[in-house]
Amino acid sequence: MSEFHLTEDQQDCLQELINVAMGQASDQLARYLDTFVYLKVPSIESVDGKELISTLSQQQNTMAVVSQGFFGYEGIRGEALLAYQEEDSGRIADLLGYEPEELSQDEQLIDISSILTTTFLNVFARQIDNQMSYNAPKLLPSVQNSLSEHLQQMTFNWDLALKVNINYQVTDYSFNCNMILLIPETAIINIKNVLDRILEDF
Amino acid sequence: MSPSVLICDDSNMARKQVLKSLPEEWKTTAQTATNGAEALTILRDNSIDVLFLDLTMPGIDGVGVLQGIQKLKLSCNVFVISADIQPEMQSKVKSLGAKEFLQKPVKADVLINHLQQHGLL
Amino acid sequence: MFDVNELISPLATEQTSLSEDVLKKINRQIANQLNTGVLVLDEAFNIVIWNRFLQVHTDKFGADIIGQSIFQAFPELPERWLTRKLMSVMQLNTPNFCSWEQRHHLFELPHTRPITTDSEFMAQNCTFLPIVTESSCKHICILIEDVTDVCHYQGQLQKALEELAQMSRIDGLTQIYNRRHWQESLEQEFAKAKRHSKSLSLVMLDLDYFKLLNDNYGHQCGDMVLIEVSKLIGSLLRVEDIFGRYGGEEFAIILPETDLSGAIELAERICSAVAKKSLEYNGEEINVTISLGVAQLRNKEVSYEGLISQADSALYQAKAEGRNKVCSSSTSVAEV
Repeated sequence: MSEFHLTEDQQDCLQELINVAMGQASDQLARYLDTFVYLKVPSIESVDGKELISTLSQQQNTMAVVSQGFFGYEGIRGEALLAYQEEDSGRIADLLGYEPEELSQDEQLIDISSILTTTFLNVFARQIDNQMSYNAPKLLPSVQNSLSEHLQQMTFNWDLALKVNINYQVTDYSFNCNMILLIPETAIINIKNVLDRILEDF
Repeated sequence: MSPSVLICDDSNMARKQVLKSLPEEWKTTAQTATNGAEALTILRDNSIDVLFLDLTMPGIDGVGVLQGIQKLKLSCNVFVISADIQPEMQSKVKSLGAKEFLQKPVKADVLINHLQQHGLL
Repeated sequence: MFDVNELISPLATEQTSLSEDVLKKINRQIANQLNTGVLVLDEAFNIVIWNRFLQVHTDKFGADIIGQSIFQAFPELPERWLTRKLMSVMQLNTPNFCSWEQRHHLFELPHTRPITTDSEFMAQNCTFLPIVTESSCKHICILIEDVTDVCHYQGQLQKALEELAQMSRIDGLTQIYNRRHWQESLEQEFAKAKRHSKSLSLVMLDLDYFKLLNDNYGHQCGDMVLIEVSKLIGSLLRVEDIFGRYGGEEFAIILPETDLSGAIELAERICSAVAKKSLEYNGEEINVTISLGVAQLRNKEVSYEGLISQADSALYQAKAEGRNKVCSSSTSVAEV
């Protein structure tokens, strides 16, 4: 087991933080979208690089990946990837309250990604007494092969990826996406420290 | 005498969080369960006055526990503590007999306040 | 645990020995020397603050801007869309973004490279930030970055990449698809036909006595013939047909959704059109003929290579039977 792996307690603590963040983010989202957001418990797994590429390449119908960098105090930073499946892309404009002709498909994906990532990470950060800033989200050019290329070309070496499977169901309309948080080595140590500090409180 | 308390949550940290927020004299006797089935067994075999219940758990979830309590006709004050805080979920658990719906992460002062409101403190 | 509010930000008063007044002046001067537009809106989307960058680029006065609705001050903005976007910033208390890659610009501002770039307005990356002053988000800050350079170079890079991609698909001499691209296309068409149970045919063709032509008239003449014959054949095809140079004087055509009889008919037309065409080289009239082999995808074919060898053997048959003719693998189809 490497020093980047989370202990059972740390994993439990992180899962709880993420559950709470996801719950509050859904509530905010439901108010903003003016609809009920049905939320399944996000499943969380930590994966290393090789695993991640193979899991993602198994999802052959992945049609788009949007990437957004985030950074907060105490050296907590990383990159959030949101992967969408083909069948889910149709009604995002509708969901967001835009007229379809007002924005392109690409812009719809970027917009929903930014909203999902930032609402979720904002609540997550608040729980650990932190505050996040974000880079502009970017749509990765054509998904085939480019994701693994992107992962290899990233400016920081990431060692652990936190894969959070999110399923948002919005009344009569559901869409699935995978949120993958890529976290570099130093930031993992920092997150572990934060988790330990929270655990110490009990 | 302090009431008999059960805390049911699949997360160790969440259980500790609730435990930590309880009144001092309750802390030593509080029991814990890590899933719905375990909670129902304890509820059936012991007389539990106050249950702090998480909703999303593997196997029998919080809603399942509430239904079990109704079926077993147990009298028990249930406080749901959940991450899913949308109004629809709140009204659902209330209709199943829950006394209160508290948002995770639970804060000690909020918890105490609710216990007082329901005459448990 | 620590409190976020106690954390340092470079402009926070508690971190500095400077007086409030000096600090204000510093902040103001920085804001006015930024090469980024700064616009602050209130809840009703009226402009409350703007910086010098915007003043200079819009060539307007503060009185025309401050207190005005952003949609009045900048009528070019897409109102419904932007309102929804600004609402998301307010309600969710999260930043939102608009990149030049999706929308070249929001604000119609001139840029500083009007001569060396080809766009009329400044390409922009816009960031919408929630500003929490009281308990909730009551203001929005819009940052407008000039990315005209990035946009321009990205455009040039894109053009170069497209040219490269095009070049890697095209045969330099005949300007039709090269073998590599043709073969990739066949692989795709083969899979498509299999999947949707559609017919697919292939024509392989070869110039007759091409070596003799090269020996008698020289390679330049040979090249001219290859170019002219490709042009002629290309003009007889449908847009969906995929025509490529297979080898030296060998060509191949993929005919999607075409059965054997349709493919034979087309091959016959090509054969006679080439034979009728008279070419000219150094004042001399040159006539060439071609031989063609046709094959249709059969159910039992497991790979596209099988289809090529079917058409190839039909082509050899045409050569053996005296050239300037079409043969098909119909005999083998009859076997099925």
